[in-house]
Amino acid sequence: MWSTLRERGVSYLIVGPFAIVLAFPFYWMLVTAFKTNGDLYNLDNVPFTYHPSQAAVGEKLSFQHDHWLPFGFENATTSHITFIFSDTNYLRWVENTAVVGGLVVVITLLLAVPAGYSLARLSGRWGQSVGVGIFLTYLVPPTLLFLPLSRVISKLGLQDRLWSLVLVYPSFTIPFATWLLMGFFRTIPAELEDAALIDGCSRLKALARVIFPISIPGILTVVIFSFSLCVNEFVYAITFISGTKQHTISAGVPTDLIRGDVYFWQSLMAATLIPSILLALLYNSFLDRFIAGFTGGAFR
Amino acid sequence: MAEARPQTRRFRDLLEDRRFLAPALITPAALFIVLLVGAPLVLAVYLSMTDATAGQLTGKFIWFHNFTEAWHNDNFRRALRNTIVFTLASQAIVLVGAGILAHALVRPFRGRWFLRLLILLPWAAPVAVSTIGFLWIFDSQFSVVNWTLVHDLMPGGGHFYLYRPVNWVLGGIDHLPWVDVGKIDRLNPPQWLGQPTLAMLAIIFVQAWRILPFATVIFIAGLSSIPTEVHDAAKVDGATGLRKFWHITLPLQLPIATVALLFGIVFTATDMTVVYILTSGGPFNSTHMLTTWAYQTGVVSSNLGEGAAISLYLLPVLLVVSVLMLLFARRVEVS
Amino acid sequence: MAENDDELEELGISPSLTRRQLVRRGLGGFLVAYAGALPKVAAAGVPKYVHKHYKNTLKIIQWSHFVPAYDVWFDKTYTKNWGAKHDTDVQVDHIALAQLPARAQAEVAAQSGHDIFGHLSPQAGLEDQVINHKEIIQEVTRKVGKVSQVGFKSCYNPKTRKWHGFPENYVPDPIHFRKDLWNQVGIKPSTWDDVRRAAPKLKALGHPVGLGMSNELDSNMLLIALMQCFGAFIQNAQAHPAINSKHTIEALKMMRDIYKRGMTNEVFAWTAASNNQGYLSGRLSLAVNAISIIRSAEDANPALAQNTSVAPIPRGPVQRLGLEHVMGVYTIWKFSKQKTLAKRFIADLEINYQGAFKNSKFYNFPAFRGAVHDYARQLAADPHKGKYNVLDLIARKYTVNLGYPGFSNAAVDEIFNTWLVPQMFAQVAQGKMTPADAASAALHEFKPIFAKWRGRGKI
Repeated sequence: MWSTLRERGVSYLIVGPFAIVLAFPFYWMLVTAFKTNGDLYNLDNVPFTYHPSQAAVGEKLSFQHDHWLPFGFENATTSHITFIFSDTNYLRWVENTAVVGGLVVVITLLLAVPAGYSLARLSGRWGQSVGVGIFLTYLVPPTLLFLPLSRVISKLGLQDRLWSLVLVYPSFTIPFATWLLMGFFRTIPAELEDAALIDGCSRLKALARVIFPISIPGILTVVIFSFSLCVNEFVYAITFISGTKQHTISAGVPTDLIRGDVYFWQSLMAATLIPSILLALLYNSFLDRFIAGFTGGAFR
Repeated sequence: MAEARPQTRRFRDLLEDRRFLAPALITPAALFIVLLVGAPLVLAVYLSMTDATAGQLTGKFIWFHNFTEAWHNDNFRRALRNTIVFTLASQAIVLVGAGILAHALVRPFRGRWFLRLLILLPWAAPVAVSTIGFLWIFDSQFSVVNWTLVHDLMPGGGHFYLYRPVNWVLGGIDHLPWVDVGKIDRLNPPQWLGQPTLAMLAIIFVQAWRILPFATVIFIAGLSSIPTEVHDAAKVDGATGLRKFWHITLPLQLPIATVALLFGIVFTATDMTVVYILTSGGPFNSTHMLTTWAYQTGVVSSNLGEGAAISLYLLPVLLVVSVLMLLFARRVEVS
Repeated sequence: MAENDDELEELGISPSLTRRQLVRRGLGGFLVAYAGALPKVAAAGVPKYVHKHYKNTLKIIQWSHFVPAYDVWFDKTYTKNWGAKHDTDVQVDHIALAQLPARAQAEVAAQSGHDIFGHLSPQAGLEDQVINHKEIIQEVTRKVGKVSQVGFKSCYNPKTRKWHGFPENYVPDPIHFRKDLWNQVGIKPSTWDDVRRAAPKLKALGHPVGLGMSNELDSNMLLIALMQCFGAFIQNAQAHPAINSKHTIEALKMMRDIYKRGMTNEVFAWTAASNNQGYLSGRLSLAVNAISIIRSAEDANPALAQNTSVAPIPRGPVQRLGLEHVMGVYTIWKFSKQKTLAKRFIADLEINYQGAFKNSKFYNFPAFRGAVHDYARQLAADPHKGKYNVLDLIARKYTVNLGYPGFSNAAVDEIFNTWLVPQMFAQVAQGKMTPADAASAALHEFKPIFAKWRGRGKI
């Protein structure tokens, strides 16, 4: 009993500090999102609690009479948070990000699964070299590519449209996905396929009927990593699309919530928290699934 | 009728033939990448050898003049050095941190789901907006870090100041040769984005912060993939704890660690967002990376040709690193 | 499963809720809230003239104005009305200040984009990509009178005889100071020497002056203006770098003194928002900035706004001369297919600038002085009792273009965009270089830039 207790203690001792350091900025964002302007810009105030201040134009103090709230929360306001929903196209941005991410994931899977399979199973020696070659495309930074790509995008008539992102994002998700899947497929024992082939299936049918179901965890991994790459992308999102209704989160938030030399800090914090928490919840629920599926070896 | 059947059979045979199927399956992906990465890359190489300006995609051919010009600029050399320091430092932190964290997270314990959620947050947040959040955390006047360091943290006036123990530690470190941070002055707290050393530290921290969860997930996946037979065999042999870690777990994790490190290095070295948003290369151009310096030269100063040349300097460096690591990974796998 | 239930119980959630249900409910809740908000967003997004199909389309892109009401007026009222009269669907996109150069270059690379591009500084470097805006200048001159010197010297290139942009507006750059605090120390900030004398006294009170020396817009403008007051300039009228003069050395010394005695090293880390925020928190006693500070104070802290005075830039030993904080320049790309319509739009906007002047809360001053009538009366009519009257004086007498006494050319542009002036001042203030060395090092940096653009025939 003592050894499990000690083990558990060690776990908390290690994971605890990491969790605190990693999550503290988000706690800070949460606190800041509810602050009034007068409270936020006052250097004498404790930043972690709320203080009475003059409500600025547009700020509603909805908790003013609830003095039982902790941390001085009666002095907080939700106006800056509702601002992003009422005065900007924030929901549109979230929608756009989700749609672009979803489409890119589909395209990535369509192209990377066959490629990964081919490199893992069918290609032998030169497969390794092609695999390395695909990886090397990562070494070109987007700071350079966005200008020539702008020309391509405009020639295709996709400027200012979300399709431009759907077209370009797979260029960095596919190499990563192919690598992951290549490693994953290599761990699936060849006997499984051979058994199917002996039973009379064509190779493609074997791929669909036998390999695909087993590789769901690997595919889920690809889905999550690709999606997170898309959500994080910033340079292309800003340069290819200029209409506020077509922005993704990464492009829309800096454009509408930073006006000249005025930063709407509380709204910026809220705008960051919302997708972060949602995505973290999503990733976390998938984590068990695809870890379980990885027994059998993923990266060999 | 008799003619149709041989044709379909021939096509079906082709699909079975490895030599046809393999390239057929790869071609769509390869084509996509060649068109969307390769073609613009060729154009960029062309631009780097011209004197193009201001977004024009053509210019007069000047061969390698841009490359030599760039090299003679102090800022460029500092940017190159910074890129290396930045990448190595942040990835070292990530590697060690993720390794430790992944080990602690494979065993189930109470509250693990929730703690894991907290740990995933930095990776889940879109990097552009979370970095803007750090702008506020490191603000020159309103930084919460500075507030916490300098103010009395004991409720009820107990006079506990965090900067005192920190200064004690800093005083100890100060004896090291290249450390030059000085002590925390209560009336003039550190400028996290305004002093060159602190700015570098801030950038390294933010980059490590956001990549740590990503690496941890990869490590966890790898750890979970060690078959139970290995654990059982180790137990039978009497290898536990540290010895088990050194002789068994660590070597088995090396392939995964290599992959995680490789992608981490590539994502960090080619990243522009964190540095651009936090410092834009300041103060005094001391925190420029090659990517931001290329952006500054090529886009802000309109010297497109030179900007392209600076970006391309990154390519051979990363190429060498990648090839070395891939060879290392292959050798480890085999053994 | 039992263990997970324990976890949830610890979180205070009923043990009958499994983890999966928790996630599902969380996401479900979000979706419900989302669906609920959709109608409002949809309603807000539906344009007024959705059922009309216009013959033409005009696309404009410009920065998100710091006064959100200006964007609302411009996007929803002005452009819609103009569009109805000219059978045009006018689409306005906004972009963050920092992304303007990237977007501009992307449009050039793509050879397609917006018809009208609104910059916040003269873009001499893009001269080859834009039309000659001469016609618009002539049209507006005919209707309201001559363009101001600031506008002329910002957007005209005497070497190529081309108007590389249309100067739409400029923003005067006053100082904001706390009259209560300055009264306490018994000094008025009318000269830079006053500021130097007052700085340590104000710092002792806990309210230092806020003069940035960082790589950002406010510092850039302030320091170049300071130099001008001392008779130091980036270039001379013939577009040769003139930074290495004894006037520059005097200016550098002044700033070093003010820093050493009156400021802390935070000013080297400032962003464009820092002097705003520092002033609004009540801490700073002086800031050089466009009226965004006092307008924000009026909303958030009226007592602070009461105690704030707006005044022209302090006088230096040579003169009192400031810079425009930003200059709104509209350009039309050569590849635009709606050049005539775009020219018409810009001309109309400038000729009827009254609306823009008022809706920007006097932030935007037209580059054609005659486009607005009766400045004095309008400024005096502001509910804040004559505080803004001085803006007219500043706009008329004490504002010149970037690159004065010469024209704003591509070399000055590049020096401005790469923060060479704030860096020079910061090096001296931190004691890393003597003023003489810094001035000659700056000249050393400026020379190749000027040579390069001269070689391209632009100067």
